[in-house]
Amino acid sequence: MTRRTWPLRAWTLVALAGVLLLSACGEGRQSVLNPSGRDALLLYDLARVMFVGALVLWLLVGGLFVYVTRINPREMSRRLAEGLIVGGGVLFPVVLLGGLLVYSLPLMQAPREADEGLRVHITAEQWWWRVEYELPDGGRVTSANELRLPVGARTGLVLNAHRVIHAFWVPALGGKADMIPGRETYLSLLPEAAGTYRGQCAEFCGASHALMAFETVAMAPADFEAWLAAEAQDAAAPQGEDATRGAQVFAREGCGGCHTVRGTQAVGQVGPDLTHVGSRLSLGAGILGVEAPDFASWIAHTETLKPEVAMPSYDHLPPDDLTALAAYLGGLE
Amino acid sequence: MTRITENEDAREFRSEAGSLWRITFGPLIWAVHFAASYGATALICAKGGTGFVEGLRLGIGIGTGVALVAIAWLGWQSWRQWDLLRDRDWENDQGTGEDRHQFLGHAAFLLAVISFIGVSYVALPVLLIGTCR
Repeated sequence: MTRRTWPLRAWTLVALAGVLLLSACGEGRQSVLNPSGRDALLLYDLARVMFVGALVLWLLVGGLFVYVTRINPREMSRRLAEGLIVGGGVLFPVVLLGGLLVYSLPLMQAPREADEGLRVHITAEQWWWRVEYELPDGGRVTSANELRLPVGARTGLVLNAHRVIHAFWVPALGGKADMIPGRETYLSLLPEAAGTYRGQCAEFCGASHALMAFETVAMAPADFEAWLAAEAQDAAAPQGEDATRGAQVFAREGCGGCHTVRGTQAVGQVGPDLTHVGSRLSLGAGILGVEAPDFASWIAHTETLKPEVAMPSYDHLPPDDLTALAAYLGGLE
Repeated sequence: MTRITENEDAREFRSEAGSLWRITFGPLIWAVHFAASYGATALICAKGGTGFVEGLRLGIGIGTGVALVAIAWLGWQSWRQWDLLRDRDWENDQGTGEDRHQFLGHAAFLLAVISFIGVSYVALPVLLIGTCR
């Protein structure tokens, strides 16, 4: 009976492994197998060298095991056995591990290298990202839940956290770095191809840990400069009837107690800065799009969409008000 | 007769107590080298700044050299005590004084080998990474 069921289980495992492999064949926006930054390429090479090294070792040890138990199970000479133990058990691993250590240690430096002109301060909150671009004059441009980087230049990320430990990770661009309350950590990234990559909090940080993501946009340097100049501007005044009414709802409901919209009365620091929220690629820290229905759905159902989030669900608002708010926020480009 | 044997036993025991202590020296040097290297690096990188990094590397380099020479000397002493090449006895599993003596040499030698490798690997980052980053 067991003889008949085991092959079936083996095939199920093979099929599952195949499905897992195929699932990695997406567009690679959040994949270490799609390295698009200098550091991610280094890590990719490191992983391949280590994997091949491990495979060679595994085949050697497995091969020897098969040889001495199946192919040639006779008693070995004392001399050969001693040579195998000293050579294969001491000399070979010391040389191999020493070689891998010498190869891998210098690679640890790249992600710690200094920036080439731009520093971004990122603070992890529960469960979103406070992002501040440091200007040459020391001023800061505040944004949230999205990171924009120039291609071809190393940007320094100064990382911090508000209440609990988080970790910053954009797999396609580089390695991970812990974000620790009261302690600054540092990571630098050098994107090599323009594109949009997904980042994800990589250290369990509470109920909505899995819903704490962000988009990273690597842009041509000139585009980045233009974007940063626009991001530094105050919010545009609402255009149209809906948006104007939305701005009134925003003020009436006290949204400005937690959110900042620069150039208005809203100066709250508790939640994400909304000055240019309409031009971002995602809402709710990487979990929704930025169409009008996304805004309305997010405002009315925050606690369902992101469990234990600080912002209450505004489900008491009439649909008209939600539509107006969505028009106002979507217009903040 | 009994008296003389007891004296001999006591003398032998005293000398074996020495080599029992000696088997700990290899790992002890490794531990001291490890703690001193990491402690000094943490202190200097946190408080001293970049100006002291070269001095720190030189210091750890000298410390590593001293530790490796000391472990090599211990290893050589215990290799002679194990006396493998003369009698080709790997295990020394008889309950005699001679076997006990050689077994302690065997253990001390293997611990010296692993301590030598450990100290070398601990020092590699200092050789290959020249900054506090």
